[in-house]
Amino acid sequence: MDNPLTLDPLFHLGPVPITAPVAVTWAIMVALALFSLLATRHLKLHPGKMQTVLEGFVTTIDGQVRDTMNRDPAPYRALIGTIFLFVLIANWSSLIPGIEPPTAHLETDAALALVVFIATIAYGISGRGLRGYLATFAEPSWVMIPLNLIEQITRTFSLIVRLFGNVMSGVFVVGIVLSLAGLFVPIPLMALDLLTGAVQAYIFAVLATVFIGAAVGEQPRKDSDPKNKEDMTP
Amino acid sequence: MTIDWWTLGLQTINALVLIWILARFLFRPVSQIIAKRQAAAQADLDAAQQARSDAETALAEARREAARLIQDRAKVLKHSHDAAEKAMQHQLELARQDAEKVRAAAEEDIAKRRAAADAEMKHQATILAADIAGRLMTRLPDEARIEGFTEGLIQSIADLPDVTRDGIGVNGPIPLRAARKLSAHEAARIKARLSEVLGRDVEISMSTDPDLLAGLEIDADHAILRNHLRADLERIKAELTADD
Repeated sequence: MDNPLTLDPLFHLGPVPITAPVAVTWAIMVALALFSLLATRHLKLHPGKMQTVLEGFVTTIDGQVRDTMNRDPAPYRALIGTIFLFVLIANWSSLIPGIEPPTAHLETDAALALVVFIATIAYGISGRGLRGYLATFAEPSWVMIPLNLIEQITRTFSLIVRLFGNVMSGVFVVGIVLSLAGLFVPIPLMALDLLTGAVQAYIFAVLATVFIGAAVGEQPRKDSDPKNKEDMTP
Repeated sequence: MTIDWWTLGLQTINALVLIWILARFLFRPVSQIIAKRQAAAQADLDAAQQARSDAETALAEARREAARLIQDRAKVLKHSHDAAEKAMQHQLELARQDAEKVRAAAEEDIAKRRAAADAEMKHQATILAADIAGRLMTRLPDEARIEGFTEGLIQSIADLPDVTRDGIGVNGPIPLRAARKLSAHEAARIKARLSEVLGRDVEISMSTDPDLLAGLEIDADHAILRNHLRADLERIKAELTADD
């Protein structure tokens, strides 16, 4: 089995080496894009089964964001929903023989955490203003500024390491058991990996929501106003 | 452990692109259809609320209309009652007038019938009186049926104007009718009394008429002289009738 901490390029696009996580991510992106195009092609006021599932997923994301941030979920729906969906599918891609989940590599997790980190800062500045956002580092006292700054880094690293550790370890354990025991022995562990993958996707998405919510602060929602329910996704 | 920065960069770009793709092609359409359904539901709720408001308005209007109809009904009923009362009074008046006419006609008819009955009764009484008189006359002596009326007849001739009296018996015998056949003595005495009152000798032609009951009658050219019971009864009858 390959060392999961190292990446070998599959091919090069000019000077850019294309590794397996990137290729699998592209495949996932294409699949999700095609699925989105096909699933949302004929949306109706009286939904079918697929539309009902999609609306249930979006409504669940909105509910989670609303419950966590106590704000209108529209500006955060795409980011949180995409993170959850991508991490979930990436984690579950290990079920396909020969495919290694992109999230089992540190670069993918770091990329996702980097997106969350940047989004947290962007939403924080957008919501509070630059001074207001910077002022949050002095809460509850200016003495906490160093610790808050360190927390920004460490919690991002914790996102990376938590996801990377769980997924990589699952893949690693399945690979070891498969090499030692036989063809069907790792199946329970793969089932456990499905659960672990779903839980990790949920945790990653929820933590991203919590970080962004802490950055923007609480604000009374105006969900009763229908205008606020329109899609404001960037 | 090493970090593949190319992979890190590409995955970051991939994540951003994927966020954009899903935002554009998944979350936006789905959230829009959800919002559209919520708007449609809200529109339905608003329409239902509007319909309810309209229905309540219509109900209130219907109640006002019903109250107005009740008032109109009361007015119409009162008007009809007044008209019916007036018509009834009019009909009663017409009926009363008709009844008065009928009653007047009946009274008139009754009066006529009563007058006719009285006339008939008088007529019958006259007949009865004549019958009674006739029956009574049969109890009198025959001489009385002639003698008792002779002087009256003579006095009637004497009371006539001279011109009329002079014309009696000029052109022939004086026609004399008697209630019974006269005896020769009676005829001679009557002839003598006539000659005396007329101042000349006259002849008489005798005839008998039992309807005279008693008495005599002369039917001359210019005068009819009656002095008999029948004529008296006729006169009494005429007087009774004239009294009515």
